[in-house]
Amino acid sequence: MAVWNIKNVSIKGISGSIPDNIVKNADLNLFTSEESKLLIKSVGIAERPVATDKICASDLCFSAAEQLLKDLSWNKDSINSLIFESVTRDYRTPPTSCILQHRLNLSENTFTLDIPMGCCGFMYGMVVAGNLMQSGTVKRTLLLVGDTASRMGSSQDKSRVPLFGDAGVAIALEYNENANPMIIELNTDGSGYKALITPHGEFREPATPDSFIYHDFGKGIIRRPIDALIDGMEVFGFAISKPSKSIKNFFQVYNIDKDNDIDYFLIHQANKSIIKRLVKKLDLPIEKVPMDIEQYGNTGGASVPFLIVARLREQAMTKPLTLLASSFGLGLTWGTMLFKTEPMVISKLIKVK
Amino acid sequence: MKNIELYNNTFIKVFDVDENKLNEKFTEKNIEFWDSLRQLAITNALEEKFDIMFDPEDIMEFNSYEKGKEILKKYKIIL
Repeated sequence: MAVWNIKNVSIKGISGSIPDNIVKNADLNLFTSEESKLLIKSVGIAERPVATDKICASDLCFSAAEQLLKDLSWNKDSINSLIFESVTRDYRTPPTSCILQHRLNLSENTFTLDIPMGCCGFMYGMVVAGNLMQSGTVKRTLLLVGDTASRMGSSQDKSRVPLFGDAGVAIALEYNENANPMIIELNTDGSGYKALITPHGEFREPATPDSFIYHDFGKGIIRRPIDALIDGMEVFGFAISKPSKSIKNFFQVYNIDKDNDIDYFLIHQANKSIIKRLVKKLDLPIEKVPMDIEQYGNTGGASVPFLIVARLREQAMTKPLTLLASSFGLGLTWGTMLFKTEPMVISKLIKVK
Repeated sequence: MKNIELYNNTFIKVFDVDENKLNEKFTEKNIEFWDSLRQLAITNALEEKFDIMFDPEDIMEFNSYEKGKEILKKYKIIL
C-alpha cells in the first residue's frame, strides 16, 4: 500500500468544462427501448457530454484553466507548475502539458508534466503535485485533468459507448503552511490490465492496416484493435471489491466515524450500481453521496473534482468540507483520498463548442 | 408468490423472454443478448427481489439460468 500524507498544499479553486454536445443514451440506435431503460436503471447514465472530433481533452482543460485563473485573479506568472492528467493527449509526442503551457501563456519557468492514469487521474495528479509543492519549492500549480474517452472507442461497441462522458477540470493548488493535510492511498493490480485496454497503436502492438479492420465479437460489440475496449464484468467485479476494502481500511486506520466526520463521499462516477453497492456495503449515509452520473456519465480522471463542480458548488464555496474520495480504473488502479477544503472558488460549468 | 415464480418473473422481465425458454440452455453462451448490461440487470433485480447482496464473484459467475439457482442457494434462497 502506498500512502501519502501531503502537507502545506491548499486547493484554492476548481473549474470544469464539457463539450456543448449532449447525447442521450435513449437516442442511441445500439439499444432497444427496453435495453435503454435497463441501462438507465442499472448503470444510471441517461445522457453524456460528447466531444466532437475537433475537441481534445486539452481544449476542455484549457477553457477550464482560463476561467479559473480569471475567477481567482491569479497572475499567470505566479504559476510554477502545470500537470496535465489524461489518457487522451493531443499527440504521441510532445507532452500535451508543454502545449498547454504555451496556450495558457504561462511563464517559461513553468515545470510541466503529463500523467496518463485514467479514472484515478485526479488522485495521481494530487500526489505528484502535492509532493512537488509541500517543501515550498513550487508555490502554485495548475492541475488539469480531463479525458475525451468517447473518442477512444468504436461507435458500434454497445458495451462501451453509453458509459463515457467527456470533461475537463482545472484545479488550482497553492503552497500554504496552514493547509489541512491530505491523505492519499493508491494501489495497483496490473494483472488486470487487459480489462481496460486499447490493444493497438503504441509500441507493443504498433498500428498496421489490420488495426483498422472491424471485428464482430457478438453481443452488439463491433470494434477494431485500435479501439479502446472494456471488459464490463471484469471491471465491475474489480470495482465492487477492491475500493470498498480500501475505504473500510481507511476508516479504521484513520479512526474515521463515517456518520459524523465526513461531509461528503465522492465516489468515482463509473456506474450507479457500483456506487449503490459501495454505499450499501459500507453503510454510508446516502444523502452524503452525491451523484452526477445520470447527467454526465463516467468522466474518467476528472470524475471526482467534476462532482464538486456539478453537485457541491455552493457548499464548497461557502464552508469548509471534509471529503472522502474513492477512485478506480484502468491499470487496474484504485485509490482513496481524505481531504479537507476551505471555502474556495468554484467556477460555473463551461460548455465548449 | 413462490421463490421460483419470483426468479422466473425477474428473468422474463430482464431478458424479455417467454417462461418456456427458461431452462438449462438459457446461458450467457447461448443467448446473444445476454451481455454485461443484462448480467448486471439480472443480478441487481434479484438482489432487490430477495433482499440480498451478491458477493462480487457470484455476480461474475452468474452466467446462466441454472447457475443463478445454485448461487441463490448460497444465500439460503431455495427455489
